[in-house]
Amino acid sequence: MAASEALALERLLAGTGFAEKPAGFALLSGPGAKLHVASALPSRQAAVSRLPTGIDPLDRLISGGLPRGRLTELVGRRSSGRFSVVLAALASATSAGEAAALVDRGSYLDPEAAREAGVELERLLWTRPRRVKEALAAAEMLLSTGFALVAVDLGLPPLRGAAPESAWVRLARAAEVERSVLLLATPYRVSGFAAGAVVRMDDARFVWLGGGAAPRLLAGVDSRLSLEREARGSAGGSGILSLTVADSLPCHPEPLASARDRLREESLPSPRSIPALA
Amino acid sequence: MPPPRVACVVVPLFPLAARLRSEPELAGEAVAVFEGNGNAARVVAATRPARRAGIRAGQTLPQARALLPDLLARGRDCESERAAQEALTEVADTFSPRVESAGDGILYFDATGIPVPPGDGDAEVRLGRAVIAAVEKAGLPGRFGIAASKLAARVAAGLPDSPTAVPEGEEARFLAPLPLAKLAPEMELAETLERWGIRSIGELAKLPEGEVASRLGELGRELHATARGIDPRPLEPRLPSPCLSEGMELEWPLVTLEPFLFVGNAALERLVRRLESQGLACRRLEIGLKLDPEGWDARAITLPAPTRDAKTLLTLTRLELEARPPGASVVGFTFTAQPDRPRQAQLSLFGPAALSPDRLATTIARLVALLGAENVGSPRAVDGHRPERFTAVDYSPPPPPRERRPPRTGRGLLAIRVLRPPVELEVIVSPCHPERSEGSLAFRLLSLKSSNGADPEISGTVRVAAGPWSLEDGWWSATPASRDYWDVELAEGGLYRIYRDRASDKWYADGMYD
Repeated sequence: MAASEALALERLLAGTGFAEKPAGFALLSGPGAKLHVASALPSRQAAVSRLPTGIDPLDRLISGGLPRGRLTELVGRRSSGRFSVVLAALASATSAGEAAALVDRGSYLDPEAAREAGVELERLLWTRPRRVKEALAAAEMLLSTGFALVAVDLGLPPLRGAAPESAWVRLARAAEVERSVLLLATPYRVSGFAAGAVVRMDDARFVWLGGGAAPRLLAGVDSRLSLEREARGSAGGSGILSLTVADSLPCHPEPLASARDRLREESLPSPRSIPALA
Repeated sequence: MPPPRVACVVVPLFPLAARLRSEPELAGEAVAVFEGNGNAARVVAATRPARRAGIRAGQTLPQARALLPDLLARGRDCESERAAQEALTEVADTFSPRVESAGDGILYFDATGIPVPPGDGDAEVRLGRAVIAAVEKAGLPGRFGIAASKLAARVAAGLPDSPTAVPEGEEARFLAPLPLAKLAPEMELAETLERWGIRSIGELAKLPEGEVASRLGELGRELHATARGIDPRPLEPRLPSPCLSEGMELEWPLVTLEPFLFVGNAALERLVRRLESQGLACRRLEIGLKLDPEGWDARAITLPAPTRDAKTLLTLTRLELEARPPGASVVGFTFTAQPDRPRQAQLSLFGPAALSPDRLATTIARLVALLGAENVGSPRAVDGHRPERFTAVDYSPPPPPRERRPPRTGRGLLAIRVLRPPVELEVIVSPCHPERSEGSLAFRLLSLKSSNGADPEISGTVRVAAGPWSLEDGWWSATPASRDYWDVELAEGGLYRIYRDRASDKWYADGMYD
């Protein structure tokens, strides 16, 4: 293409060359017009459908929600809020009328708490494997059935009999075929390069109300979220996830916001300051 | 009212056809089916390659082997024949509601006024072609005859140029030139008629009825009526069977699982095909194993939802036999399916996709086989106060909404992992607030550690503790709960819910905030 023709096309696409070239206007705006600036074309990443978890900091971090057709790995130590995110994702999927499955290695689910979190229990299939290998087999079966969300919680360490990386690749492939959300919650990284996104939850700080003369009450947990990996996207973002104990708030005189502020300002005593064991 | 028409389907060389249906890999080989034991066994039927080599019905096994050393000899398999007869009956069920199974590869059905496939030529011949095609699809060769009487239809079905239709009122004329042996008379009657010089059906029909009855008795009268094209017995429709079964008697005892599953897979596939043809699915699979030298092992697998997946049924059979081996070698088996209607689902254009009921049933069956029935289900809350309480019911999700709806906004609640069973702890406490002392509550938690071998392992110094608060539940029952609860943050990380059981004065962790 000659330089002059390229320039004319640029001007047409910018919408400035119509007066000089009416035929060009028809080409751009008439029936069946197909010309676009390349950068404006929808990217593959943008086309990925997502399931929002309903937790704003997490949804912002992973571009709007858990991607369908990919494996999202959620890594967090004990009490980091990992299981709360799993319940939030289940609540989101089931409240939208979609079928969801929880592979719960360790049988940790409390149905009452799940219902409280918004999970429609009728739409949830709960499987309770004992070993990681069984959890993988169950997840693959569930994905091939067409569940919109399959959440695999590997429970607490140690993960005896951990699966090879190829098993996670196979699982991710099954999710891609069925366009299902595959959420893997683990205490440490296990899925290797099979994960489409990896979110780490760490630096958990527990928020307590009261103290001293006032009664002490657990109010919630603040955890730091960081995006460690995102396929076809930019990793490196972070955020703060604040989770609240529902029934602790209404009765306590101290507002939760002030407790969270105090948590950030105070330097908590180090473990060494606690009296030695008898 | 249309004149009555009876159709007959005959499977030629039925014992052989039933064998070949169970072992389709034998098709095209020189095979003979024998009845009897050892060298006294006699040929009942043989395939065309075997007949070409001179094998005939009635020959003994050594005679047949002398003619054809490579002959594949098989014994008569009652189980295969029974299953083949059932399959034949089910084919006829798709054409007429009134079917009579006469056994040995013969059945009759009422063809009066039934719809006929479109096409050229005689309508009854077209019907016959459709029936033969359906029988062949079920794995059996078939011949078809149709007439106003059962016997005429059966004789017509035995003729080589199948299908054969005998026009209405022409039964006597059709039967007249045929040999008397076609009526299969009793041996004594046949000898008497032979002495009289009666060779054909027509010659018998010409004799006066009264004279035949006075000399040959009731059997003779019936044979005479048959020769005139009159049915001595009407069509006797059978009731549809509540169960479908397939099976096989094995040539040699099987002691390992893999060969059994190989032959069992073929039987399950035949069973599933029959279920599909009736629009049914298997709700319960009963496995019967004939043991060597004697004995019978019966077991059943109940499926969480009806399925038509042969692979799933085979997997469940494998798991069942691995868990409880029969204890002796197997010489025969039967799979019986209790049928049920498969679940149906209405798909939506605009709402979320519904799960396929068939695939869901298959998955649940496989999950149950993998994890156990108690570990698969839909969770439900139970009334009460104990945190560990739960129940699970069969998973049967409601249909998805007709239109896609947005997910509910999250509440950002902190969840708790319930530890089942609770982890026993060793807790170190120190006395405090003596002025507020009220017995056992006057202490401060210092550290805790799970007992040896407990999973998950919990250990650390207490950084913050909140509590106690009391829980009392089931005081009227045999297992009351009386507990004091604390929320405990450990310096090493982890936020736990622990309790002291007042009855035993032991400490447990029953939850972890996460």
